[in-house]
Amino acid sequence: MSTSKSGGAIGPFHSVAEAAGCVKTSDWLILTLLFLAVLGGYHIHFMLTAGDWDFWVDWKDRRMWPTVIPILGVTFAAAAQAFLWENFRLPFGATFAVLGLLIGEWINRYVNFWGWTYFPISLVFPSALVVPALWLDIILLLSGSYVITAVVGALGWGLLFYPNNWPAIAAFHQATEQHGQLMSLADLIGLHFVRTSMPEYIRMVERGTLRTFGKDVVPVAAFFSGFVSMLVYFLWWFVGKWYSTTKVITKI
Amino acid sequence: MSVTTETSAGAAAGSDAIVDLKTMWIGIAVLNIFYLFIRIYEQIFGWRAGLDSFAPEFQTYWLTMLWTEIPLELVAGLGLAGYLWKTRDRNVDAVSPREELRRHVVLLQWLTVYSVAIYWGASFFTEQDGTWHMTVIRDTDFTPSHIIEFYLSYPIYSIMGVGSFFYAKTRIPFFAHGYSLAFLIVAIGPFMIIPNVGLNEWGHTFWFMEELFVAPLHWGFVFFGWMALGVFGVVLQILAGVKRLLGKDGVAALIG
Repeated sequence: MSTSKSGGAIGPFHSVAEAAGCVKTSDWLILTLLFLAVLGGYHIHFMLTAGDWDFWVDWKDRRMWPTVIPILGVTFAAAAQAFLWENFRLPFGATFAVLGLLIGEWINRYVNFWGWTYFPISLVFPSALVVPALWLDIILLLSGSYVITAVVGALGWGLLFYPNNWPAIAAFHQATEQHGQLMSLADLIGLHFVRTSMPEYIRMVERGTLRTFGKDVVPVAAFFSGFVSMLVYFLWWFVGKWYSTTKVITKI
Repeated sequence: MSVTTETSAGAAAGSDAIVDLKTMWIGIAVLNIFYLFIRIYEQIFGWRAGLDSFAPEFQTYWLTMLWTEIPLELVAGLGLAGYLWKTRDRNVDAVSPREELRRHVVLLQWLTVYSVAIYWGASFFTEQDGTWHMTVIRDTDFTPSHIIEFYLSYPIYSIMGVGSFFYAKTRIPFFAHGYSLAFLIVAIGPFMIIPNVGLNEWGHTFWFMEELFVAPLHWGFVFFGWMALGVFGVVLQILAGVKRLLGKDGVAALIG
């Protein structure tokens, strides 16, 4: 047993125990600050690029919602994977980022959407993303390759989004007739709780012919979403690597 | 002997300690309690006095807060940066390895408090702004949610970001020489969200009555929000510093 292992001074530490304690505390501080910083960056990105589809149950339609959310959501998941996998071989970047986003969203929906402006949680619950994130991490872990993760993982990220949300959303897509007007329960809830500055006419909803004749809107939207998610994954893998820069510049 | 079975996992007691988290916990507690108070204030005076900016009670309960917080933040930010600069280590390269390590841990604490402030600003109060503006028709740029979000929570995290940068720049040899690109991004990027409020409010003079949160007008916030990811590079630089100070034998002793 070496001197250091027996508890003697190592480097600037008085003992191995002190070094271990310091390193462990530093690890927790780093995990905490990374989690909260990624949460903040991811949340402001997500709410301002995909937020309206995520805020309201009547925006969670069969075409725009499964298209927009995965494409804008895969960004920070890819960046976090690039950082944690490339530098530490930790295979949980996507889940790490998505958990941050979901915690931020759930706190907000309860404390502010419900607590301040009095919308029911059944109108404002966020989209589920954990299953697609786990898929992304598992593919990276098994393949060890960002290319395979982009192609297989990001495609699955897009395809899994709707099934992952189906248990929560199915009931809201039930049809209901109100005074001769056919609509979904989600629409009915949305119409009952008026959003004064978010009128119906600026809502972006599914429309077109495929929904009428083919009724295959969701699989097509998910497939398209997976395709774009692949491209966005590639881009954001390198964004994550770029933000991991240790470059020092001499002048500003 | 496994390091995990040894006693005294924390740092040595007393002033010689490398790890002392007391100040960080106080900082986090102050921040959280302050924001809890702010949230209660919003709950009471948002609906009661925050719906009509021409009403006298709006002046009393909201604009008074705005005109109080802005100068306070300016003084606090400049004062903190000035204090850190004034008390800088003028012979930073002569710092002992043990003291240098302690300063790395203090920097991590600065960044942890910064990230708590980022959570409140970029996550909590920003999405809160969405539900307020979709619910209440606004008649001013300085709405109750904006007075908290733009002019309170954003300056507070900016102060913490700049404070972290100044701490590293004035006390840690690696950061004292040159400029860490990642740290510049962390300190300046999210701060730039505040000037971007100018673009946002200018745009809202055209589109005042509707609140579509994904509108391209808001994407400036998104671009600068990405820059919170600069913590990736800063963390790598700190870990490289700790590894260098530990030395090969130290690393081997810890993982052996």
